[in-house]
Amino acid sequence: MNMYLHELKSLRKSTIIWVCAMIAIALVYLSLYPAIYRDGAHFKDMLAGYPASIRAMLGVTVDSVTSPLGFYSMILAFVVLCGGVQAMNLGMTILSKETRERTADFLLVKPVSRAAIVTAKVLAALTVLLVTDVLYYAVASTIASMVKQSSYSGGLFFMINLTLFFVQLIFFAIGAVVSVFFDRLRSVLPVSLGTVFGCYIVGALVAAGKDDWARFISPFRYFDYSYIIQNSRYETPYLITGAVIVVTAVVTCYFVFARKDIHAVS
Amino acid sequence: MNVIEIKNLTKYYGKARGVIDVSIEVEQGEVFGFIGPNGAGKSTTIRTLLGLIYPTSGSARIFGKSCTTNPEVREDVGYLPSEVFYYDGMRVIDLLRYSASFYRKDCTKRINELAEIMDLDLKRRIDDLSFGNKKKVGIVQGLLHGPKLIILDEPTTGLDPLMQQTFFDLIDSENKKGATVFLSSHILREVQKMCERVALIKDGRIIKLERMSALQENNFKRIKVEGLSNLDKTIFDMPGVSKLENGGKTASFLYRGDINNVIRKLAQTEVSNLSIDEPDLEEVFMHYYSKDG
Repeated sequence: MNMYLHELKSLRKSTIIWVCAMIAIALVYLSLYPAIYRDGAHFKDMLAGYPASIRAMLGVTVDSVTSPLGFYSMILAFVVLCGGVQAMNLGMTILSKETRERTADFLLVKPVSRAAIVTAKVLAALTVLLVTDVLYYAVASTIASMVKQSSYSGGLFFMINLTLFFVQLIFFAIGAVVSVFFDRLRSVLPVSLGTVFGCYIVGALVAAGKDDWARFISPFRYFDYSYIIQNSRYETPYLITGAVIVVTAVVTCYFVFARKDIHAVS
Repeated sequence: MNVIEIKNLTKYYGKARGVIDVSIEVEQGEVFGFIGPNGAGKSTTIRTLLGLIYPTSGSARIFGKSCTTNPEVREDVGYLPSEVFYYDGMRVIDLLRYSASFYRKDCTKRINELAEIMDLDLKRRIDDLSFGNKKKVGIVQGLLHGPKLIILDEPTTGLDPLMQQTFFDLIDSENKKGATVFLSSHILREVQKMCERVALIKDGRIIKLERMSALQENNFKRIKVEGLSNLDKTIFDMPGVSKLENGGKTASFLYRGDINNVIRKLAQTEVSNLSIDEPDLEEVFMHYYSKDG
């Protein structure tokens, strides 16, 4: 419990910044919604003029873009991108910061097992992600209900927002497993930014063709908002793939972290 | 019961040598010295003992148990690493409380006592502290839970001589209360002052393990003399003198034996300068190499 609280405390500041950034994205874009709604036909024409891959990259579906959920899912794509970077960063730092900031000689000689350390840290990170998403959801749903021009399903709004947490879980797990193998990275931000943006762009490019197999490459394509809005459910194969990635990565973290040598400060 | 039992410990980092076939036993209540030059394998041995790294072969146990399979034995271990690093943005007291939260006892009183002894301001932020003051935080942090085994890795680097003395007094009083002390250092003097038994490690192997008293008999001094005029070679012609380098007014040699004899000899000549130092560790090791064939 003490390690868990210590981690939460040390993550407090960065979490506030991430939440503010994600809320800012939602606020800026949602505030444009009433104007875009009024000028719907022109906006659709403009978007239709973009190449398909650009539209895919922006997460735009022309037909539904002026509906509340259609417009919001376009915004959410950016929020998820931002949340993905946060999660991957978190995953990459949470275990490796002890070696990078050279505090391993403090924590790892305490009478606790390595597994207990991993558990405390993973739980703290999950808490941070949950808090981020709950705060974001509370603010985003308030703004959305203020700017809406027609009614929309609150349940579906929740479902598409939940994908933020799913994508974050996947990137967190990837980040964590990368960090236990490469804990001597001096700076994690370039790696996490690169991986997350890389996934996003690859996802946008391959998904333009709507090839189901290619969608497995990028976690950003595991959750198709128009599919969720139309069918009120997630696509099972991708949900399972996501779960497998998360479980495998976390289990690997436990094994590798428990067996690894913690080298002296050099 | 042996507090520390290291048996045939071998550690390779890939192909790089860590330690080879190290065996050490430390009894309860003992102050054990572990000396060797940098890179000899002192830290590797200690880190294996603490469960920070895994042995390639052999075993390292504390209170009969391995730290990797029984992490709870570290409850009774206090460790002071050679370089201390702590979490950013914490005050000293926050760090010490966090450290204390890992042990099942109330350490508040002891924290204040130790801070008093080490002259440490608990309200300062750790980021703002000098290297020496960080080291003090490390000392308090390593001792606040009243460990039965204290492991020190180059403990005095960064401390001023006064603080070093305070620190050794502190360790001494912990030892009198029953704590076993394992002191690793490359400074012979420190070890000589404190320890009952000592192990010498070089290039990953233990080359000597003996009582301090035995080592003291082999106590070498490095003596340098400067004379007013050219020094007469014959005054150094006495038992115990080795590696004599005589260059006109100055002479330098290693001396082993009763220090009074050499002082009497030197008193017969006019001297402008004289220094008597501990020989550096390398010279001591060279001695053991030659003695052991």
